Amino acid sequence: MAVRILLVDDHPIVRQGLRTLLEGRSGWEIVGEASDGIEALDKVDTLQPDVVVLDVTMPRMNGLEACRLIQQKQQKGKTSGLEVLFVTQHDSPQMMREALDAGARGYVVKSNAARDLLEAVEAVSRHRVFTALARGPYPSC
Amino acid sequence: MKLRILLADDHEIVRRGLCALLQRHEGWEVCGEASDGREALEMAKQLKPDVVIVDIGMPFLNGLDTTRQLMQHDPQFKVIVLTITDSDQVIREALDAGARGFVLKSDAARDLVAAVEALQSKRMFFTPRVNDLVLAGFLEKGHAASRNEPPDLPTLTAREREVTQLLAEGKSSKEVAVLLNLSTKTVETHRSNIMRKLSLHSIRDLVVYAIKNNIIQIQMPPQLHGTPEPTVA
Repeated sequence: MAVRILLVDDHPIVRQGLRTLLEGRSGWEIVGEASDGIEALDKVDTLQPDVVVLDVTMPRMNGLEACRLIQQKQQKGKTSGLEVLFVTQHDSPQMMREALDAGARGYVVKSNAARDLLEAVEAVSRHRVFTALARGPYPSC
Repeated sequence: MKLRILLADDHEIVRRGLCALLQRHEGWEVCGEASDGREALEMAKQLKPDVVIVDIGMPFLNGLDTTRQLMQHDPQFKVIVLTITDSDQVIREALDAGARGFVLKSDAARDLVAAVEALQSKRMFFTPRVNDLVLAGFLEKGHAASRNEPPDLPTLTAREREVTQLLAEGKSSKEVAVLLNLSTKTVETHRSNIMRKLSLHSIRDLVVYAIKNNIIQIQMPPQLHGTPEPTVA
């Protein structure tokens, strides 16, 4: 069954870059894009993705807040089996901890996204944790 | 003959997005990709692209100093600066450095094609905010005094600015020496000169100076439950 992916980043050029990386993978489908947390929540409801690839710093609602609200939706049974993977500029253990505490299953740094993203999506789509800081040890699944 | 474009951004994901955007345009090709300013300089000298697109916040050599050095090497280079901020100071530094285009990263999907088209037609391309500043006479006020040098950096040489960036990025004198192919002693001399010229007393002072003067850029994360930690872009 195809993995349905929602891309969320306020920069269209980054979404395009993520798309070019992910589209080539057979069995994966980009079902939509959003440019902030509020739009992401709407699209989670309407598109029912399996994986949300989420930026942290965005206008209107940041990714951490969006991730917490997505988890609340899951607890209320409005969505199920959805996993959040952060792709962010913040190469910081503290931010990674915050993201995981918010309910994310994965955390990848933008500068290394080309290296880590495919493996990260693969892992979180199977409900496994994937975290990789740029300056830290290589990915731990 | 195709218009040849060199891209310089430290994020491969951004370069992929830019490539996809530019290569949709018939008659354009991305002839090279660089992941930092030093690599961009080398590739530009070698490939002689028609247009160079540089991100400001790059490691080793930022986009503004890359633009300055490109223009010093050959004033015919046409450079578009990509930036996450259009603050007055960044705009002014980009113009002083010799950029002919100025595009916000957030608007790149909308503006970058128009910017390249403008340069192709020997015109310039700036965001509405830059145009407003120009119209307001912003450049007239301070341009004459700082045409050749960025504001607040009146006494640093190009090499000293490179050393400043690398030290502010956390590299040791020895690491800087390896990167710039200099002796450690020469780097130490540059370091002493920089500190003396700028009246700085510690590396912490140097980092603050580098941030204030756009030699390195930081992006603040959303407020965390603990202390926020800035990220060097």
